[in-house]
Amino acid sequence: MDVTVEVVGEETRAVRVADDATYADLLAPFDLSPHEVSVLVEGRPVPEDQPVETDRVKVLRLIKGG
Amino acid sequence: MTSELTLADGVRGALLRHARQGLRDGPREVCGVLVGARARERDGADRATDCRRVPNVAANPRTEYELDPAEALAAIEDAEAAGLDVVGFYHSHPESPPVPSETDRDRATWNGYVYLIVAPRTDEVRAWRWTGEAFDPLPIAVE
Repeated sequence: MDVTVEVVGEETRAVRVADDATYADLLAPFDLSPHEVSVLVEGRPVPEDQPVETDRVKVLRLIKGG
Repeated sequence: MTSELTLADGVRGALLRHARQGLRDGPREVCGVLVGARARERDGADRATDCRRVPNVAANPRTEYELDPAEALAAIEDAEAAGLDVVGFYHSHPESPPVPSETDRDRATWNGYVYLIVAPRTDEVRAWRWTGEAFDPLPIAVE
């Protein structure tokens, strides 16, 4: 399936993944690790290990430190 | 990369008020998004015209910060809908100087953006730009 992935502040790209892909699989083309981002669907974070159930996600680089 | 950050009238005060609130409540770190206009040319100044508070959801907010992702996204999209840019982000160091910590360096992810730190005990506000490898000091001009 094709999923539109918007990396907030950077780029939007269509990503083709297997039907049983997880949200983490959507990050592979962007060289992003699940540890440094949050994947959001309709404005709410979703667990990266869950299967993709939407055709559009936003990826936010985490803003954190000490 | 640009050489300066301009803070519009009132923004510095708003940042200090938020940081002082975190000092009283915790102490805990507070954080948010800086919005305004990013420089359009290589040597221009980034200009922050407003700051949007975002809840700190870090496990240990006394010494760490993490912007709530959903709230951060909402703040970013509200700014963009108003025709503004995300200039960068701010957080406070309630008990230490306003310089990037090792943790700040380890966790920075927004290359090219401003990371501003507020120290409410000394009323200091300082800014850096994350290059992807280091925090470059960024002079602040207050309008």
